Amino acid sequence: MKKFLGITLGILTAIGGFVDIGDLVANALVGSRFGMSLAWVVLLGVLGICVFAEMSGRIAAVSRRAVFDLVRERLGPRAGLVNLGASFLILALTVAAEIGGAALALELATGVDYLVWVPAVAFAAWLVMWRVKFETLERVFGLAGLALVIFIVALWQLGPDWGQLWEQATRPAPPRDEGLPTYFYYAIALLGGAMTPYEVFFFSSGGVEEKWTRRDLSVARANVLVGFPLGGLLSLAIAACAATVFLPAHVQVDSLGQMVLPVALGAGQVGLALVILGVFAATFGATLEVALSSGYSLSQYFGWQWGKFVRPREAARFHATILVVVIVATALVLTTIDPIMVTEYSLVFAAAALPLTYLPVLLIANDRDYMQDKVNGRFSNTLGTAFMILLIVVSIAAIPLMLATKAGQ
Amino acid sequence: MTAARVVHAQLHLLDRQVVRARDGRLVCKVDDLELALDDDGRPYVTAILMGPLALGPRVGGVLGRLMAGAARLLGATAPPRIPMEHVSRIAGAVHVGGDLEPPALEHWVRTHLVEPIPGARHENE
Repeated sequence: MKKFLGITLGILTAIGGFVDIGDLVANALVGSRFGMSLAWVVLLGVLGICVFAEMSGRIAAVSRRAVFDLVRERLGPRAGLVNLGASFLILALTVAAEIGGAALALELATGVDYLVWVPAVAFAAWLVMWRVKFETLERVFGLAGLALVIFIVALWQLGPDWGQLWEQATRPAPPRDEGLPTYFYYAIALLGGAMTPYEVFFFSSGGVEEKWTRRDLSVARANVLVGFPLGGLLSLAIAACAATVFLPAHVQVDSLGQMVLPVALGAGQVGLALVILGVFAATFGATLEVALSSGYSLSQYFGWQWGKFVRPREAARFHATILVVVIVATALVLTTIDPIMVTEYSLVFAAAALPLTYLPVLLIANDRDYMQDKVNGRFSNTLGTAFMILLIVVSIAAIPLMLATKAGQ
Repeated sequence: MTAARVVHAQLHLLDRQVVRARDGRLVCKVDDLELALDDDGRPYVTAILMGPLALGPRVGGVLGRLMAGAARLLGATAPPRIPMEHVSRIAGAVHVGGDLEPPALEHWVRTHLVEPIPGARHENE
């Protein structure tokens, strides 16, 4: 049991990355429009995030340095600041979206308009970050997010045509009524969702929060190898549910209410209750992950004391950053901006900035000053380099594709 | 005895995290270095410089000037420095000894914003 609780950091990180509010809807939307024909992107994204999260976890365990330390160190103050500016903007937008998402889950559960829930959710999230120990936080929300496993059960109960799903998955091309640019636009959105930089910000900083040392390298690896594939599996199950229910009926999913419908059809009322709990836990967990990441990245760029392993007064600038981000994000959701659209856009912008985060990780993982004998082996370097090339292509294509397809319409 | 190691200022010092050797608390980044010339005219590092007045000029451009300007507006005149004799180890971080004042911004945020909130002095539960 203790071993199992040791991997909740990986689970919470992956849930925030793969099944946060933007991805929940993006997965269902992709399933309803493209069937399983984009499943390969999710698999590729799982592999990519595993490669870089393993490196960043290893760096955190051996050197106690988290990812934004490395960004500043290897990109220098100028390019590091560009990355900080872009990342911070995306993080603030994402916090707003996740608060909105958690409030939408409460609206589904109670029927009370989500705007009423927004201040309560934001305050609860801030209180958790202010008072609750890091280990408790990751365990409670990592484990509660596992309620989303109900999507796998529901898929089973729906009794889909497995042969047809498999056929879609093995034929990586758009369906007849969809164009190639739209197909690639969603491919980039899915890859950006799977490899969002805040996953490695949070994962590596979480390793430092948990005081990982060289002896915890196997814990770090287990976190990566369980958490991210599980996140990928959940996002495939969501897409498959949507492909089964909505694709034949030509319905396009664009709301949280529609997205949970296949679970109600497949697993009944208990299923519906579980999925709403899961969506709430996942989006609330993502709120914590992203808001903490904003504090981590800013503090690590400037060298401030950060973390929940010291008293709040010892890390005053870190806690002040989180407080300000939560307040600004709350104000942004209260303008009734659509939280789901916000994450959709921020995913694509994040995809454009991916190399700026992952290149320093790859470089430091080869630096003996930081890593001593734990530098990358040939396997990590080959995969890491291949992904760097892919990420550079993705970052160049992301924004032109978004403009050309009018964000996938 | 281990062999002497060549330390490259740009590669091994600049932009590294500075930590307090005693307890691992994070102090600052190596935002810039103070140099002096020895008798033969060779430069050597005398101190680590920190804070916006040190970082601003290295960032350069409008942002860099804004950074330094904001610090001057708040009354800073020279960047705080840590003399090199306080440095005990250079690895993934630069370890320093001695007693260090908390930076001005940290001090201000601590007394005016964070400490008034209940629970600021407690360990997390």
